[in-house]
Amino acid sequence: MADKDNDKLLDHAYDGIQEFDNPLPTWWKWIFYATIVFVPLYYWDPLGIGEGPGKEQAYEQSMAAFNAAHPKTGGTYSDDQLIAFAKDPAKVEAGKVVFTSYCAACHRPDGGGMIGPNLTDDFWIHGGKPTEMLKVIVEGVLAKGMPNWGKVLKPDQIEGAVAYVQTLHGTNPANPKAPEGAKYPPDSAAAPAPAAK
Amino acid sequence: MNTRLDSFSYDDDIVRKFMWATMIWGLVGFLVGLIIALQLPVPGLNAAPYLTFGRLRPLHTNAVIFAFAGNAFFMGAYYSTQRLLKTRMWSDGLSKFHFWGWQAIIVSAAITLPLGFTQSKEYAELEWPIDIAIAVVWVAFAVNYFVTLAKRRERHIYVAIWFYIASIITVALLHIFNNLSVPAGAFKSYSIYAGVQDAFMQWWYGHNAVAFFLTTPFLGLMYYFMPKAADRPVFSYRLSILHFWTLVFLYIWAGPHHLHYTALPDWASTLGMLFSVMLWMPSWGGMVNGLLTLRGAWHKVTEDPVLKFFVVAVTAYGMSTFEGPMLSIKSINALAHYTDWVIAHVHTGALGWNGFLTFGMVYWLAPRLFQTEMYSKNWVNLHFWLATFGILLYVVAIYSAGATQGLMWRAFDETGRLQYPDFVETVMRLMPMYWVRVAGGTLYIAGMILGIWNLYKTWAKRPAKYEVPVVQAAPLSPTYTDDHAPVAGSAWARFTAMYWHRKWEGMPLFFSVMTAIAVIVASLFEIIPTFLIKSNVPTIASVKPYTPLELAGRNIYQREGCFNCHSQMVRPLMYETERYGDYSKPGESVYEHPFLWGSRRIGPDLARVGGKYPDLWHVRHMYNPREVVQKSIMPAYPHLQTTAIDFNAIQKSVDAMAMIGVPYGDAVNSAPALARAQAEQVAASIVAGGGPAGLADKEIVALTAYLQRLGRDLKNASSGTAQQPAVPAAAKPIAMAAPDGSR
Repeated sequence: MADKDNDKLLDHAYDGIQEFDNPLPTWWKWIFYATIVFVPLYYWDPLGIGEGPGKEQAYEQSMAAFNAAHPKTGGTYSDDQLIAFAKDPAKVEAGKVVFTSYCAACHRPDGGGMIGPNLTDDFWIHGGKPTEMLKVIVEGVLAKGMPNWGKVLKPDQIEGAVAYVQTLHGTNPANPKAPEGAKYPPDSAAAPAPAAK
Repeated sequence: MNTRLDSFSYDDDIVRKFMWATMIWGLVGFLVGLIIALQLPVPGLNAAPYLTFGRLRPLHTNAVIFAFAGNAFFMGAYYSTQRLLKTRMWSDGLSKFHFWGWQAIIVSAAITLPLGFTQSKEYAELEWPIDIAIAVVWVAFAVNYFVTLAKRRERHIYVAIWFYIASIITVALLHIFNNLSVPAGAFKSYSIYAGVQDAFMQWWYGHNAVAFFLTTPFLGLMYYFMPKAADRPVFSYRLSILHFWTLVFLYIWAGPHHLHYTALPDWASTLGMLFSVMLWMPSWGGMVNGLLTLRGAWHKVTEDPVLKFFVVAVTAYGMSTFEGPMLSIKSINALAHYTDWVIAHVHTGALGWNGFLTFGMVYWLAPRLFQTEMYSKNWVNLHFWLATFGILLYVVAIYSAGATQGLMWRAFDETGRLQYPDFVETVMRLMPMYWVRVAGGTLYIAGMILGIWNLYKTWAKRPAKYEVPVVQAAPLSPTYTDDHAPVAGSAWARFTAMYWHRKWEGMPLFFSVMTAIAVIVASLFEIIPTFLIKSNVPTIASVKPYTPLELAGRNIYQREGCFNCHSQMVRPLMYETERYGDYSKPGESVYEHPFLWGSRRIGPDLARVGGKYPDLWHVRHMYNPREVVQKSIMPAYPHLQTTAIDFNAIQKSVDAMAMIGVPYGDAVNSAPALARAQAEQVAASIVAGGGPAGLADKEIVALTAYLQRLGRDLKNASSGTAQQPAVPAAAKPIAMAAPDGSR
């Protein structure tokens, strides 16, 4: 930094304001040059520091890598396993928390149904087997507004939710929503099971 | 030689007027900021419909930018320009027109924004009649300014004037070209640009509003008031020249960095980033020249509160102009975009740079304008410390909030699921920081109130009649010849001697033209390809215009300011598509007049919300969000269930859209009927789901129809409906939300 006694004043003044004829600070100049040099290096990328393939391709690559590292699991539960969860008080209690936070808004806190169907009666739109419940919770029924909770909930939360929903059966809350779907378990073999859309 | 001296005086009355306006509007703008800061942790404070976050947030930003900083610029510019040019403003009448016109515009903004009249483009929310008024007042200011320049008695124009000129020219260009729109009624209009192009134009404007309304005017002010207050020469004339021209030329390119990872083409985004990085040193040129001007005067800083304000202002400027280029780097932007980080960044700039420079100016000017000592120097010091701690609390809290939320959004757990898939969880985590922000803002406002009180007490002891000093100066000689000795040596030596620039400074009109050329050329480099290159926006056949009812719903979405908290732009990033669905494509936005991509996610993105929930979910959620999402901080909109849809106004909207080229076909003749038919269907699905009856003519139905449409066109791409023209498709049964009974 120049000593002020060595600074040269320019021969003009504006309303008393004068200006020194100081050179550009060296660090300022060189950082500015460096940012200019950075432009072609980034844009045409001769050194591999820059653009890469563009945002869409970069996304596809990252998704491919991610999917390779996280193979899809799921579908590994049996009905018996899920029925056993419903008899585990810890699972049911955890499921109740999940139900209250996420499901009650549409199915009512008591499961009697409102935006979504009644979960306490014998009728099921997409099947009443525990594995079928699990499928609906995980994959959702997007066309009808049931979100795919598999994206939101952790595996143990989903197990809890399936456990808790099973315990709601037959609780007969007040003012339930009218039954929808097919009876489960079916009384006769004639009842259709329209789970597939 | 002409030795005759003119006698004249300066118009300080206009400066006093702008000073009061600065301080009073500043207080208003800050208070609205405090209210909206409180509305986030306490959603009950949203007094619908007029005083919800979505309507007040634009009022806050407009008040602080255009009312507080705007009036501060005019205050300082009118004071310094007259003295730097040794002439009174050419027309006192135009000065007064500028003042009262500007205040009238501010009042009209304060009325229309809470009423929900908005173009929904950030910092350009004001509707078209007010936009025209702004243009008129600005042109009046410009005419007055340029004629004053022509009538100057100082041959060369000082660096402060360069910055004022650049600001006046560029703001006019930005304002006019970003606000081009087609009216659909007295207080409703649609941008003539759509989607990608509209987004580009908006951020060309938005970014350069920061540049040419909050940066260059204030650099000009700094170049006058800093050396005046410090009584020291400016550090480097060469640095002034170089950083002025590089700043003016490079700044214009930087806008697209607000749109990284959006549907804006990569090339534009990359240019935005690279020019922002190059902008770092040109921006810092101002900081260097400001701080180094204080060499040999640092002892004064400890005693003079004016200089204290200036030092913090220039330091805050340095921090935010380092942060700006940093945030423009794509990988950093991916983390910071849509979060509070950006909010913290702009508050470092607005509270620190613009606020502190303004307070320093006001305290320097007040004794001179009121011709008496400041009522209390201690209060000035106290204001300084209150405001300094206020800013610190504010930005530390909000930087942490931004980083926290950005990191939570992108976190995956070991099973490959989002760690925090429930959006509201990432909002809850910010609440402690939001309370600290409230505390910081309160301190800053306390300082402002103290300042206004001090100003009032100073004004109260002004002399009975202001003294108006008579100044004498010689007029410019018409026979002036440049007597500078030619620079010896090569062309390069002549160039670096900068004498050519000295010549320019003697020709303000030429100087202004060169500035305009720099700005326009830089703009066209990006604008022309954005509009002309077809591959920027690949066509998606299934994307159709909104039905008339959906368009009415979109109007409501705009009116309520939903875009202030919800984006509609999923970025091609793993954690975004995992959370929201497929990333947004440029072709999806071709009928988006204006684009509603948003810039902040206080709530989740909505680009893919269509069909995600049943109609009844939206009805209940709008009525009271907390009934559906317990911890939601969204305002409640119960009035949407009682306010009737203005079906006849829909025709105007459709007509305006058709005029800009949206293929509406037969709907131009029958929009209300089509809208009614669709409204009946939506209302029936709400009833079938167990919801309230009688909503078929209520606004909630239109808004629901709009929200249910979002992202649907892309999903329909393979379903065969793509070939049908838009309007007959709308008249058919809507695929979404089949009545519950059909399950």
